[in-house]
Amino acid sequence: MSVTVDDELWSAVGDPTRRRMVDLMLADGFGTATSLSERLPVTRQAVAKHLGVLHRVGLVHATPSGRERRYEVDEEQLARATAQLASVGASWDARLHRIKRIAEAIQRDREN
Amino acid sequence: MEYGSIEREIHIDATPEVVYEVVSRPEHLREWWPDEAELKPVPGAIGVISFGDRNAPDAKVESLTVVDADPPRRFSFRWVYDEGEAATPTNSLLVTFELTASGSGTLLRFSEAGFRERGWEAAVLENAYREHVTGWDHFLPRLVTYVNRVVSTP
Repeated sequence: MSVTVDDELWSAVGDPTRRRMVDLMLADGFGTATSLSERLPVTRQAVAKHLGVLHRVGLVHATPSGRERRYEVDEEQLARATAQLASVGASWDARLHRIKRIAEAIQRDREN
Repeated sequence: MEYGSIEREIHIDATPEVVYEVVSRPEHLREWWPDEAELKPVPGAIGVISFGDRNAPDAKVESLTVVDADPPRRFSFRWVYDEGEAATPTNSLLVTFELTASGSGTLLRFSEAGFRERGWEAAVLENAYREHVTGWDHFLPRLVTYVNRVVSTP
């Protein structure tokens, strides 16, 4: 249901560049600001900023690796975000089917 | 392509008049959505829907503001705005039911819009989820159990 949605988490995954970054980290297992910027049309600084946003909402974990930080996706938190988003559409599907059932029952009653 | 909203169409074997009552009257709302609903289906009216026991600490209570009430064609309201605020296009989601006669029944067009204005872009992600866009596809199979559990709650 929409009211349980965590605004910050939604905004974090709502940005297309951040989603692309999440995809790359999922495919490769991890990413750094440098490795991700090499594969995206944005600067290393911009990638670092996006990683900061993802980190704040718990979508990625960071571990030091040489001079850089290595980021991995927190699959549980991503599952939570995706489930919330999917549930908005799915909940309305369920409600619309209930509307259909109720209206059709009323119509049948009136005709009989 | 626009992804600022969730849109659905459904055919119902009942007249637009009947469907209009079901989507707009509190006694019917209670059957398909919240546990309790207090709402006058007139433009500008502010109503309340609640989930769970209203006296319990974990009860969810949401305000609705009716925007259009044009029987039997259109019923719309805004919701999910912060308590104490007036509903506006930038702080709420707009739910619209549009009804057109179709054969002996009704075509109901549903939309929930305003995600982008709230900065959510929920519909983008919902679309990605549905169409299994590359990347998410890699991850989604592992989510199915979890999603099923979450979507089965109201």
